[in-house]
Amino acid sequence: MLIVAFFVLWIGGIGARLVHLQINQHTELRGKALNQRRDTVKEKQLRGTIYDRDEHPLAMSLKVKSLVADPSEIENIEATSKQIAKILNVKTETILKPLKEGKERNKRFVYLARKLDDATVKNINERLETAELKKNDLPKYTGLHWREEQKRSYPHNSLAAQLIGFSNGEDVGSAGIEQSQETLLHGAVTKTWRDRDRYGRVYDEEEIEREEPKDVVLTISNSIQYKVEQALEKGVKAANAKSGIAIAMNPRTGEILAMANYPSFDPNRYTEFAVENYTNRAVQNMYAPGSVFKIIAFGGALNENLIKADGEINCGNGVIKMNGRDDIVDKHCHQTISYTDALAVSSNYATIKTAKLLGNENFFDYSQRFGFGKPTGIEVPAEARGTVRSPANADSLASMSIGYEVNVTALQTLSAYGTIANDGVRVTPRLIKEIRQDGKAISTTEAETTQVMSAETAKNLRRMLEKVVTGGTAKRAKLNGYTAGGKTGTAWKYNATLKKYDENKYISSFIGFAPAENPKIVIAVVLDEPQGGARDGGQVSAPIFREIAESVLPELGIKPDTNIKNETVADEDIPTETETTATKKTEKKSVETKKEPKKEEEKPSTQKTKESAAQKPKTETKNKSSGK
Amino acid sequence: MSRKNTSKNRNPQNVKREGDPIPWRYCLLTLGCGLILVGGFFFAARQHFSSIDYGIKNSQLKKQKDELETAQRQLLIDKEFALSPTSIKKVAKEYGFTEVAASIESLYTESKDTKVKPKTEKISDTKTVVKKSDVNTRKEEKKPENKTIVKTDSKTKKGV
Repeated sequence: MLIVAFFVLWIGGIGARLVHLQINQHTELRGKALNQRRDTVKEKQLRGTIYDRDEHPLAMSLKVKSLVADPSEIENIEATSKQIAKILNVKTETILKPLKEGKERNKRFVYLARKLDDATVKNINERLETAELKKNDLPKYTGLHWREEQKRSYPHNSLAAQLIGFSNGEDVGSAGIEQSQETLLHGAVTKTWRDRDRYGRVYDEEEIEREEPKDVVLTISNSIQYKVEQALEKGVKAANAKSGIAIAMNPRTGEILAMANYPSFDPNRYTEFAVENYTNRAVQNMYAPGSVFKIIAFGGALNENLIKADGEINCGNGVIKMNGRDDIVDKHCHQTISYTDALAVSSNYATIKTAKLLGNENFFDYSQRFGFGKPTGIEVPAEARGTVRSPANADSLASMSIGYEVNVTALQTLSAYGTIANDGVRVTPRLIKEIRQDGKAISTTEAETTQVMSAETAKNLRRMLEKVVTGGTAKRAKLNGYTAGGKTGTAWKYNATLKKYDENKYISSFIGFAPAENPKIVIAVVLDEPQGGARDGGQVSAPIFREIAESVLPELGIKPDTNIKNETVADEDIPTETETTATKKTEKKSVETKKEPKKEEEKPSTQKTKESAAQKPKTETKNKSSGK
Repeated sequence: MSRKNTSKNRNPQNVKREGDPIPWRYCLLTLGCGLILVGGFFFAARQHFSSIDYGIKNSQLKKQKDELETAQRQLLIDKEFALSPTSIKKVAKEYGFTEVAASIESLYTESKDTKVKPKTEKISDTKTVVKKSDVNTRKEEKKPENKTIVKTDSKTKKGV
């Protein structure tokens, strides 16, 4: 009986204790047990990839590891620093200093080595092994831990660097597409719990939160981008220009095929380059377009049936009187000339007369319709909107019609010429083809279209612009095997300090399309401050257009539409700016014979190339409107 | 009122007496149940340990998959690096290939002074430099043009 009672009490006691542990201390004990075997790991997912239109990765992230330390866990800082420094092959001081500081300030997190590749990690792991066993996927050394991070790689180095941009050390997009598409590309933080056995082996794990980052497919083509960059680099060096921009676009779809800037930088080592090189000048820099802007006056007047392409204009003596400003003298426009020829030789007289015919309001309206004065909406950050205002008076209209008192971006001019190439329909330029998640397209971009002018007007304007290439200022843009049209532009740069245009600094551009009848590509080439002797758009920018078009058109599968001929155009055959315009100040009566301002010392292009290659541009003078 | 004498109807074989042995079939039944129970425990234990084992293997495979994916990404990047035009150019140079003369540069040399072509000296397969003496000749030839203009100190315009 006693024995039974003893057993009952004994079992009852155990039962009571079990009930107490299971019910009263449940939460606490459960927590303890989980703590003993479970880790909750927070990991940042790899940033999304940026592809070109042919599926070549342009920016991709890789998993890497960083070695971090918790100084509070390390007892002998000096000895540890010495050992780690030896393994990492760095000076002991490099490790000792942060560890000491961390210990003094009670820090529990100090970076020792960042973004190491797999092989280095394995090597360090092997060499850091101590008898004290830690969890087997962590460094076997007290106080040291691995932290999973990611490293962004740009396999094509400087290719489309300003366009793609780069992400900083914290994997946050800091320029270009990397910045503008940050919300899509950034890798979300995932939470995973892992159960470990007594040897530290994970035997169960589950992801609590996970959202795959998205990949961005661009419209640019790796191959075309390279060709454009090569042509631009050669052109900039040959013209000894400060910088250059070249953009190629499909006028039908608005897809940007290439957007090149020179000088460029390598996003893999962006800290080694000047900050100015990060600027995507094609969309961020504004400049006075010069004669490229003449299409507004001619296009508007043609569309309003105020002029006809083969109609004639009487230039009289080619002088336009300006109130309180310099008179405009046009040497190319004497007596009667057709509008087509006037545009071909870039006549300021004919343009101003045409703009006046069009009127202030219409001129402003057409400027806006062509997309000037507002951002194009392209998917890159910090796009400049340009400056176009309603002409205040007749003089202002005259200035604006020949591309002064307005500020544009290279992309805006490209878009405007794309409108002419696309039968009068302006298509919003775009860089993103589609967004993907898990390899599947989740969204594609659609181009917005706006009818700016009739198809007939656009066709007439294309023919006029073709004449610019065949017999005008852009003879060097003549292509082998393809017809082409376009317009040159040479404008003085505005010097903000002197508050006037600098006669020694130019923006030389050529915007063209090919083939002329049914354009498949529009190309804009803009050079900043060419100083190699030749400086007009037709002399320095048109050859770059030619090289780009001749190499890209066959790649796009466009068949030649004219006989293949290889022509070399001499400077004498191209109407230059000195012949085209002269100026006269009516207010000042004193007339004297003056030598033409001596050009800067001429050097052979190849020699200059070497010098310019050695120089790194430091600052870029911002080009502003005249604001007279 | 009649009273049934049940003792008469009782089967003597069914009556248990103290000290009687437990029937063998009960023993077998108990033993069977015990074995099933023990077997169940063993089975559960085996399942538990094999699930842990599978868990470990699963986690190792996941890790391996992650590593392979990283390696695949690395290889993809390496491939792109290798196929990038800059790398191809570099390799081509190593193999002795030379670049075709730049057409733009030739355009420039042909341009400004077409009549007096600067003599070029070939210093390498790809680069050409213009002799300094030729440059001077070019400079001298380019005499400043006399032009009648009205003196002005204000901003002027030009455009082509």
